[in-house]
Amino acid sequence: MTMTLFLQSILAGLTNGFVYGLIGLGIAVVFRGARIINAMQGDFALLGSVVAYVVSTRLGVPMLPAFLTGVLAGGVLGLLVERLLIRPTEKRAGTEDSYLLVTLGGAFAVSAAVLLYFGRDSYVLNGIGGDASVDVLDAAIRVHAVWLIVISSVVVLALKLFYGHTRVGQAMLAASIDVDGSLTIGINVPLMRTLTFVTGGLMGGLAGVLVAPLINIHYEMGLLLTLKGFAAAILGGLISPVGAMFGGVLLGLVESLAVASVSSGYKDVITMVILILIMILMPQGLLGRRGRQGG
Amino acid sequence: MASLTGMRNRLVVAVFVALLATVWSVVPLLAGRSTVDMLVFAALYAIAGLGVAFLLGQCGIVSLAQNVFFGIGAYSTAYGATVLGWPAPASMIMGIVISGAIAAAVGVPVLRLSGYFLALATLALAVIGHVLFLEWDWLTGGTLGIGGIPPLSPLGYRINTPVRFYYFVSPILLVLILIHYNLLRSRTGIAMRAMRDAPSAAAVLGVNIARLKVKVFVSSAILGSFAGSLFAHYVSFVSVDSFGVDRAINFLLIAVLGGARTIAGTVLGALFVTALPNFLSRIGDVHALLFAVLLIVAVIFLPQGFGGAVAQVWRHFGRRPDHAGRVTKGSPP
Repeated sequence: MTMTLFLQSILAGLTNGFVYGLIGLGIAVVFRGARIINAMQGDFALLGSVVAYVVSTRLGVPMLPAFLTGVLAGGVLGLLVERLLIRPTEKRAGTEDSYLLVTLGGAFAVSAAVLLYFGRDSYVLNGIGGDASVDVLDAAIRVHAVWLIVISSVVVLALKLFYGHTRVGQAMLAASIDVDGSLTIGINVPLMRTLTFVTGGLMGGLAGVLVAPLINIHYEMGLLLTLKGFAAAILGGLISPVGAMFGGVLLGLVESLAVASVSSGYKDVITMVILILIMILMPQGLLGRRGRQGG
Repeated sequence: MASLTGMRNRLVVAVFVALLATVWSVVPLLAGRSTVDMLVFAALYAIAGLGVAFLLGQCGIVSLAQNVFFGIGAYSTAYGATVLGWPAPASMIMGIVISGAIAAAVGVPVLRLSGYFLALATLALAVIGHVLFLEWDWLTGGTLGIGGIPPLSPLGYRINTPVRFYYFVSPILLVLILIHYNLLRSRTGIAMRAMRDAPSAAAVLGVNIARLKVKVFVSSAILGSFAGSLFAHYVSFVSVDSFGVDRAINFLLIAVLGGARTIAGTVLGALFVTALPNFLSRIGDVHALLFAVLLIVAVIFLPQGFGGAVAQVWRHFGRRPDHAGRVTKGSPP
């Protein structure tokens, strides 16, 4: 492997890693607040990117408001998922499997709806800074990718502050850790649960609008994003947003170095094998120690 | 009174079975070619779905990887028949052996997982299988696929029309269902349900849980591979599009809709999953969206599936007031 190729792989891996981290972040947020694995996190991203694309190209809205609409669309979907899928399942004493099947069903519903609307074609969302790129020694990275890394880092830190230092954030954590205790001290547990899903949805929408300029919008993209984000989240201990980001970057780097030395056709195979190995060998993740239940 | 009711019930069952058998044998003569074609697909998917339903209903294992084994069976038959020139049973057995071996090798580590992790691990397997089917085009033909797979011809009788295949495949399905019913009543079946409902208790009583899970996973893979081989012979052309993750979802939907715990429900699930896209094809690709919504609705509102609903109705009508006007309990499922 030449130096340039190595550097290029590192940059690509870093970019992909932040993408996986963003998805993993949403999965971690939902698991932290609701103890549910959201198998449609990648499809929150799909919806976010589709909405941003439609608003910007078909309605001619400028980039920033279009991106924000995409993020909000993710949040709205999160709200709907909590109300329409999670609550009824909970009412009927859902098991881990039923939550997973219900969110998987949601994932296929979003994907199928996009298929109906968009067909099998791929669409490209314009990124921040267009197609411009920055040179790093011999390699290049797109301006949009730099923005993606910056924005994700800011969001992770903001989430950390939100959970650690605001009343709502603390209440959301408390509601997931001890339902009865939270009710006793006056926390509206169902509302916190809803907020958790809305936050997860917003994270998904954000991931979508940031990812779409780098990979094409395609109705099937959600599933792989979910699985890779899940791998990132487990690596980070499953309840930690910061951990999910680290996990994502690690996964992205390993994936891109493996691709550079094997073949790009097997990229997803490599990552899926890594995912299975992570689940078997280090279910607590690299950073996590406790607090994770199930699985 | 009890013996009289018993006799009456037996009579009802006999009439019901006779009616079903008549409908079964007459349908292909009355229905059009496309309907018979659809029934054949329903039977093929029911065989693969049976494996998924058995895993889900009796062991509590969500498997999203059945597309992999379905694909291995189909490609084994395709490769064996067109490239190696093997007789059909040999290719079929090759597929079954490969599927079984892979299921055992993968199952040993993966089936130690449970809950979310297990389901997502099988989903990851489904993705791996699909990518490999696409990448190994020297073996699978990739997106171009493999064509010209000859129809099955046992004893020189070519099963090359939907009607012939219908009469060929439905008895096989029936036998497989009966085998599974017997399996449920056996020692292994009891061990399985014990493992599903109270794993610790089952382990204490000497059920080797890890081994039993792998065994059931392997038998499910064998069913998937067998169905895939039959599928390849029937459609005579296989390509990677037939073995994507959406196929695995359909198999799971068959199990969930049919009601994983009632084995025969799988047939209802398969009929539904096959028939619906046919009826909706005029509107476009709506069935994928509808399937997704159905999966959600079934998991939330119909946890026992169609099979469970039928069993409930059956029990409801089985309940009759006795002389004192009390309702006697139906027999436990």
